Amino acid sequence: MAELIHITIDGKQVAAVKGQTILEAAAAAGIKIPTICHIKGEEASSNPCLLCMVEIEGLGRVRACATPAGDGQVIEVHNRDLDAFRKERLEVLAESHYGDCRAPCNLTCPGGINVQGYVNLIAKGEYLAALMLIKEKNPLPIAVGRVCPRFCETRCRRILLDEPIAINHLKRFVADHAREARFRDTEVGKPTGKKVAIIGGGPAGLSCAYFLRKQGHQVTIFEAEDKLGGLMRYGIPGYKLPNREVDREVQGILNLGVHARLGKRWGTDFTLQTLRDQGFDAIFIATGLSRQKQLELEGAGIARCGLNFLREVNMGAKPEIGDQVLIVGGGDIAVDSARSARRLGAKNVTVIYPRSRVELPAHQREIEEAEKEGVQFFLMATPLKIMKEDGQLKVEMARTILGEPDERGIRRPIPMPGSRLFWTGDTVISALGQEGDPTFHSYGELEASIALTPRNTIKAHPSTMKTSVDGIYAGGDAATGSRTVIQAVAGGRRAAESIHEYLTKERPSVLEPRFNFTKGKRFEDVDMHNFEGYELQLNEVMPARPAERRTGDFGEVQLGFSEEMAVREAKRCLQCGCLGLSKCSYREMCVDYKVKANKARTRLKYQVDKSHPFIVVDANKCIGCTRCVRSCKYDAFELDLTLDQKTGLIDDVSIKINQNCVSCGACVDVCPTGTLSKQDSVVPLLPAQLSSVKTVCTYCGTGCSIDVVHMYGAILEVKADPDRPPNFGHLCVKGRFGYSFYRNHERLRLPLVRYSVEEPFREVEWDEALRITAEKFLAIRDKFGPDSMGVLASSRCTNEENYLLQKLARAAWGTNNVDNCARV
Amino acid sequence: MLHTIIEEGLLDEKFIEERTEKFDAILEHCKDYSPERMAELTDVKPELIRKAARLYATSANSMILYGLGVTEHKGGTAGVIALANLVLATGHVGRPNNGINPLRGQNNVQGSCDMGTLPYIYPGYQDTDDQKVLERFARAWGVKALPKTKGLMEPQMYDAALDGSFKALYCVGYDPAHTQSNIEHVRKAMKAMDFVVVQDMFMTETAKLAHVVLPSACFYEKEGTFTSGERRVRKVNKVIPPRRSTKADWEIICLISQAMGYPMIYTSPEQIMTEVAALTPSYGGITYQGLGEDGKVWPCSSKQDPGTPLLHTKRFPRGRASFVPVSYIVPEEEADKDYPLVLITGRRLEHYNNGSMTRRCQGFDQIAGTELLEIHPDDARVLGIADGNTVRIESRRGSIKAVATVTERSKPGTVFMTFHFQDDLTNVLTSHGMDNKTLTPEYKVCAVRIRAIDRGH
Repeated sequence: MAELIHITIDGKQVAAVKGQTILEAAAAAGIKIPTICHIKGEEASSNPCLLCMVEIEGLGRVRACATPAGDGQVIEVHNRDLDAFRKERLEVLAESHYGDCRAPCNLTCPGGINVQGYVNLIAKGEYLAALMLIKEKNPLPIAVGRVCPRFCETRCRRILLDEPIAINHLKRFVADHAREARFRDTEVGKPTGKKVAIIGGGPAGLSCAYFLRKQGHQVTIFEAEDKLGGLMRYGIPGYKLPNREVDREVQGILNLGVHARLGKRWGTDFTLQTLRDQGFDAIFIATGLSRQKQLELEGAGIARCGLNFLREVNMGAKPEIGDQVLIVGGGDIAVDSARSARRLGAKNVTVIYPRSRVELPAHQREIEEAEKEGVQFFLMATPLKIMKEDGQLKVEMARTILGEPDERGIRRPIPMPGSRLFWTGDTVISALGQEGDPTFHSYGELEASIALTPRNTIKAHPSTMKTSVDGIYAGGDAATGSRTVIQAVAGGRRAAESIHEYLTKERPSVLEPRFNFTKGKRFEDVDMHNFEGYELQLNEVMPARPAERRTGDFGEVQLGFSEEMAVREAKRCLQCGCLGLSKCSYREMCVDYKVKANKARTRLKYQVDKSHPFIVVDANKCIGCTRCVRSCKYDAFELDLTLDQKTGLIDDVSIKINQNCVSCGACVDVCPTGTLSKQDSVVPLLPAQLSSVKTVCTYCGTGCSIDVVHMYGAILEVKADPDRPPNFGHLCVKGRFGYSFYRNHERLRLPLVRYSVEEPFREVEWDEALRITAEKFLAIRDKFGPDSMGVLASSRCTNEENYLLQKLARAAWGTNNVDNCARV
Repeated sequence: MLHTIIEEGLLDEKFIEERTEKFDAILEHCKDYSPERMAELTDVKPELIRKAARLYATSANSMILYGLGVTEHKGGTAGVIALANLVLATGHVGRPNNGINPLRGQNNVQGSCDMGTLPYIYPGYQDTDDQKVLERFARAWGVKALPKTKGLMEPQMYDAALDGSFKALYCVGYDPAHTQSNIEHVRKAMKAMDFVVVQDMFMTETAKLAHVVLPSACFYEKEGTFTSGERRVRKVNKVIPPRRSTKADWEIICLISQAMGYPMIYTSPEQIMTEVAALTPSYGGITYQGLGEDGKVWPCSSKQDPGTPLLHTKRFPRGRASFVPVSYIVPEEEADKDYPLVLITGRRLEHYNNGSMTRRCQGFDQIAGTELLEIHPDDARVLGIADGNTVRIESRRGSIKAVATVTERSKPGTVFMTFHFQDDLTNVLTSHGMDNKTLTPEYKVCAVRIRAIDRGH
């Protein structure tokens, strides 16, 4: 019989078995003592992490992993000194740690999308999983994949090598692919009984609706227009984002069971109070900005409003604008208006802007496309006066120079003295951008109590989207001022998360810590040695209709990547973000102990070794715990650590996997950092984001227990639980790494039939294959009797399937001719 | 070994007395099988045989685990009986850490046999000749009568096809045109059939001979149970949905049955297991809920029964176990002047069976991308073969190419190959010999000759 003893850990009485270490006794009692190097059942590390140091009253500090529990011990795990000591230890380890926790693309995306994850799922051919990973943060990939200004691509490290990954084109590819695959994303949470009203069916409103529905809330969108989509439908021209694509995007949201009340205008058809009276538990305001800034010059009234112009065009009207068009402004509305004007037949379209080319607020890519289409940019110039003359319009203009700095040091353009020019033409479009509109304050008392920003947008907390009124949230352009679609989508999601918490008091399940080791926040900080050994490969160019053809209509300019292009492009990814993220207990501890990531090394010391077929070795991330060596049962792991005796710092580390390796992968799964990662497991996830299914390995009669980590229909990796029989965490190469056949392109997709073995197969639907099969079997049975037929069952199929096969032979056919492949 | 055990008085006489019968026959029979005589046949030194015998017999706990190296011989059954004699003579059975266990080549060999996919038994090894069994199944399955004629084993199906009496085959998750021995025979047989339906994930060699190929889901994509080598029934859980238009095998079987007019309607594998449990005494207590994470070991007669990890503790199924004298059975084919080497086929760690799955997994190409012929340095020298040479291997039935690897893993006079690769099918070569009782092919003995065809650079 095991002898029981009693110890006290952090004031709690705990029973332990004599012979257990303090660490084991604590673990058995559910008390977690921090440790990195300890592996259950294995010898202690030659280079202990020392994080499990505890204090025994009267004895002082001991390593909990190496000290037996003794009767009557009073043990402290946490006190100020111990925790300070642990932090210090973790910081020492940080000094030899070099890598990126999260990829720059991921960190830069305003939507917080796991960019590296979806790009690499595309590289594996897992398009639907990639789509769903995008939709975790962005439910409007069809639209964003066409119009995003691509913040992520500006930070892509591949820029230091050749060109950034064409991330947004990849997003569009998977969004479009889903249509061909007839994929429907319709799963929603259990009904919560809570009702939320969303005012405005633009990107922010739709995004908020999507995430609230996914949580099971009842959602109603109130939209003033006849159709949902907001600026995506009424602002962005069809040659960039066709209305049928907006329809598809909107349909996807509606398919979740989102209600929409169309043609309902705030202030006319309802107020915040009437919504509350109708039982809505929360309200999200996402009305966008429908007011355009006014031109302030003589004759401004003669100019057409750009926003209205785009709206008319997007609704299919063909306004008369003549041959000569002048557009005042330099933002998206100006460039969109100019390109639309060309498509309406205007021969000369000029955008006038008072600053230089690089200062144009529109994206440079857009400006280039506009120029290809014949739009002219008249820069460093400003209109002074608009006049009607002889049935035409005449605009008096001046060149501009930069004035003296104002009190904030900004030099504003002013007309150059003595400069005077004239433009004569048919239409002037004013496209100065949108601004806040406080009119809604007059709709009711609740409305009046919503605080505004100095720019007349709704004041909302940037992360919770809460307004000054409880239960009312605001996001999108209405709160932030004019921004991009992805920013509106992100606002809608944050509002949904915050509303969900408000309605259910549930905290979000996955909290993303801000902690991040990085190889360099700025490009110039990144060690160029990181790119040694990579071959230059420029990115895939988006196929587009030539400029001279596309200006004849509003058809989409960009045609989308083919599957081949998408996979080739996705494979260019450098995989900056750490692929050990989901198992990195070191990072978790750094977060717990508030370690500063800037303690880390800034230079690459060792080349990443990808020569092993399944395991990537990145010695730059090694913290010297030696778990890998101790887990290897085949003498295949060679780890040489040189430590600085004084500081405990790792001076040098050498990791080699030698010829003895049988690729069982035990070392990878025990590594507590990204030093060892798996070649094929390419989606960086937080530990809390992993989901796995326990099942049984198929590769031999042992029946090992496996945990299959999966995401949206894709398998990410196979692991084994160290506590479960019969294999207790062990697996062979087939069990751990032999899973990717399921997605092999040679998988049969449809039934195949033919009349004779001499001819090629044809693919048919199941109904036809089953009909042919049944008819033929029946005919043979009728003619030659049941014993002329037989079944060969499979020792690789399940018991249930084998049972059915012999039942089929005996009961349905009437023969004992059934055997299986057990002989092989 | 038994000779030594008898000679040196290492028998468990109490066990023999209480639990066995016909020991005398063995006593007499073994006299002729001295380690010295067997050494001539086996090339194992007599001293090693004696040492192994003493170690096995005198250890408190001894267990025999045997692989296909025992069974894939013409005398495979005899080999297993010989092992059983050893177990009985020493009493190493019916106690923890003792016994005799076959190691299977595939994950559910145990379960597929348990479920009655053998011509001579119903689920749970119930006899096809037992009238009561037939009546019970007929009632449960809603048919007037069940077949009375003797069923064919797989190799008999091929022979019957070539005779013209076997016309149609439904082959599920099995690739005999790749993995059966002497596959030219299998191919001819399949081509002689009027209708062949193959159900698989990939275009296998067998699928290439089919009239209809039905695409099935893989084990990550479906639910059910496997029974491991220790008779442990374990739950297989669905991880991801089936790819493309594939369906789980059980669904396809049901659809075919229904299309043929026999209703086979189940909404889940669990329903099927409920039926299995109702008709199969040894699986009587198997329910999905009861399996939990660790499964249950059959016999398991009721839901309350925790299962039976240890068999034969007090008695054997037939009461007393019977010693059966067995003699050495000469292989179908032995090395001779024309075909001077013996080819042994088997498996490598990295691949599974016909390789249709593992060859299609990332990284496996790098660790085991091609078929290798393992040959001893002595033989290689005589034949002028160097490591890495491409060689041609010929038997009386066919000829293929492989890359030679010169290694002492093979004994002089023998060479080794696997059957995992599709480009060159090893089983073009293998013997037509089979175990007399089980019809298991003699994969372990086939006479070949070898010559280098590309000496590389």
